[in-house]
Amino acid sequence: MNAIETHNLTKVYNTFTAVNSLNLEIPDKTIFGMLGPNGAGKTTTIKMLTCLIQPTSGEAIVGGYNVRDNPDEVRRLLGMVPQQVSLYKDLTVMENSQLCADYYGINPNERDSRIEDLMELVDIKYARDKRISQLSGGQKQKASLVASLVHKPKILFLDEPTIGLDPTTKRVLWDLIRELNDDGRTIILCSHDMHEVDMLCDNVGIINTGNLVAYDTPQGLKDSLLDSNKEEITETLHQISAESEVKTSTMEDTESLSLRKLSFLLEDNNENIINSLKNNEFVKSIEIARNGRINLRIDYFDDNAVSNVLSTVLSCGGVIKSISTEEPSLEDVFIKSTSEVNENDRA
Amino acid sequence: MIELKKFWWMIKKELISLKRHPSRLVSILVFPIIMILLFGYGMGGEMTDLPIVVVSQSHGDLTDLTLDTIKTTDTYRVVDVIDDQNKAENMVDSGEVKAAIIMPKDYDDTNSSSQKAVTLYLDSSDQMASQILDSATQAIFSKLSNMVAAGSVTAVSENSTAAPSLSHQLSNFKDDISLHINRIYGNIKYIDFLVPAVLGMTVMMSCMMGMGATIAGERETGELARLFMTPTSVSTVIGGKIASKLLIELVRALILIIMAILLFNVSIKGGLLQTFIVLVFGALCFVGFGIMLSARTQTQEDYAQIVLPFSLPMMFVSGVFYPIETMPWIFQKIAYLFPLTYLNDAMRAVMLKGQTLGDVWLDLVILVGYTLLFFIIGVKRFNRDI
Repeated sequence: MNAIETHNLTKVYNTFTAVNSLNLEIPDKTIFGMLGPNGAGKTTTIKMLTCLIQPTSGEAIVGGYNVRDNPDEVRRLLGMVPQQVSLYKDLTVMENSQLCADYYGINPNERDSRIEDLMELVDIKYARDKRISQLSGGQKQKASLVASLVHKPKILFLDEPTIGLDPTTKRVLWDLIRELNDDGRTIILCSHDMHEVDMLCDNVGIINTGNLVAYDTPQGLKDSLLDSNKEEITETLHQISAESEVKTSTMEDTESLSLRKLSFLLEDNNENIINSLKNNEFVKSIEIARNGRINLRIDYFDDNAVSNVLSTVLSCGGVIKSISTEEPSLEDVFIKSTSEVNENDRA
Repeated sequence: MIELKKFWWMIKKELISLKRHPSRLVSILVFPIIMILLFGYGMGGEMTDLPIVVVSQSHGDLTDLTLDTIKTTDTYRVVDVIDDQNKAENMVDSGEVKAAIIMPKDYDDTNSSSQKAVTLYLDSSDQMASQILDSATQAIFSKLSNMVAAGSVTAVSENSTAAPSLSHQLSNFKDDISLHINRIYGNIKYIDFLVPAVLGMTVMMSCMMGMGATIAGERETGELARLFMTPTSVSTVIGGKIASKLLIELVRALILIIMAILLFNVSIKGGLLQTFIVLVFGALCFVGFGIMLSARTQTQEDYAQIVLPFSLPMMFVSGVFYPIETMPWIFQKIAYLFPLTYLNDAMRAVMLKGQTLGDVWLDLVILVGYTLLFFIIGVKRFNRDI
């Protein structure tokens, strides 16, 4: 069952089409990452899904209700933590939460105990009687979460919930998001933090110029990027093999190929090791940084590539002080998906 | 030392910002023109054309001369000349005219030996107009009296077209003319005249400004969007805003009234409760006006620029400081489009004349009409958008 479905959802402002025939399915009880560059149509989509604006055409079904026909039913199912903390600054955390609870028509007998439980959950109870204006950024976000969860929404929209927060508070909120999802809530996470989306989301949709340009699991999206590059990469690799002196400082040539990156720092970069690496069949380029770190691009299609390269280093007496590998990231997918559309637009 | 390039950037930035916010630009360009027009024509001019009624119960040369003199005096605008004294007094009581000049039945009786007692039945609640009418009427009848006593006459008013041929006939009059002034609401000080309208104006300004902060401000900071994401109707949110604003404004109005009584000994002839009720009608109306204007305004700054061209002209044209009747006709027409005019009228009627809510029903009905209109437009236009 889907928590949210849109069918040709469109929003037009005068002559500008903010959302263009968007077809989207967000399965129930999953965390969905909504990505897109600024001005891509994410906010407009959220506004339509949360009944703040009416679609120009098409349909949006939220929790089984049509946003056009049953807006109040939809609103009862939704919670929203906006990017800008929109609580009343002169009211305390408790008072803001009570206000929200009453706007959702929560039974007065259970209202306060529910708020206390939520405060406990997000760890803001110690500031229950503090005014919002007296709280730090992280505390405000937690207070905003309490106010948004007080009516036990089945679907929770989080718009950049961790922006501007310190790494520790970020992690607390991430744990909380997982907890809320484990509790059976569908979460729609809008974020520019690719790591956050990659780590938390079951599915990711990338919206650009009002269209859904990519939709899959984070891993699926990364794999699809590799697949789409495979032909191009293979061709380039053949070219590289045909040339004799390509294995030094050719990072620029292969930069766009999204080859797996492998880098290590040795105790001593002796010539023997460098030459052996140059001759390794899996190494497609080699670059030595100023600090002596060796950055390689290796053929990711072969599962033995990493161990083979490492064996080469160790067999030449190299002592590895540190090592790291880098896979294609969600950020790569994002840039590729959005840049293709932008280029088409410009064309 | 000022760094010119940076200094210039501040000016440039403001100009660009203005250009890109047409509502602010229009406000800046049009507003001073409106203000100087209103101030110059509405407040700076001489007080002329005050509406009066004349009761003429006799016929003869002196009556003709007197009527002619009154009609050609700039201070007056003679609405009617009638012979029914009660009707004339009713016209003054109802506010239709500012005064009635009542000439007695024996005004033209050459055989009468007694003084001819002319009465100026004066609406003293309009303190400024009544002062002007008082002195102008005294001047005319004093001059007429002197001429009658001297047995000769020339044009009394500078603008009079009275025929000199009448002069010889006036020699038959044996006695002069006396003028009795009947200030129907007693001697009213300028502060008494000002306070009801200042109360109305204060309620108007604070309601309109306050609603901007509540609606446009909360829209700007996102609090309003959070409310609209709940299963709540626009009218509930707006209703709540109105009630809270109304409560605050009425407390403010009450403090104003009490301070006016304590500090300036202002009398409230119609009683505190009725005055307060009239203010409630006014406050509701202006809260509605604020909601209508803020329905689609995204920021507080935009709202402030939009509200000023309405609130300040309303202040000058609606008879707060100066009677509406003395303004050029176009401003009079505009004045009757503004709800503040009706609030001022009702406030003065209750506070200065001691009239009841029933007496000012028309003002109240008009205010309610405006209130409904503003609320309907406001709710219809209201944007749930963040």
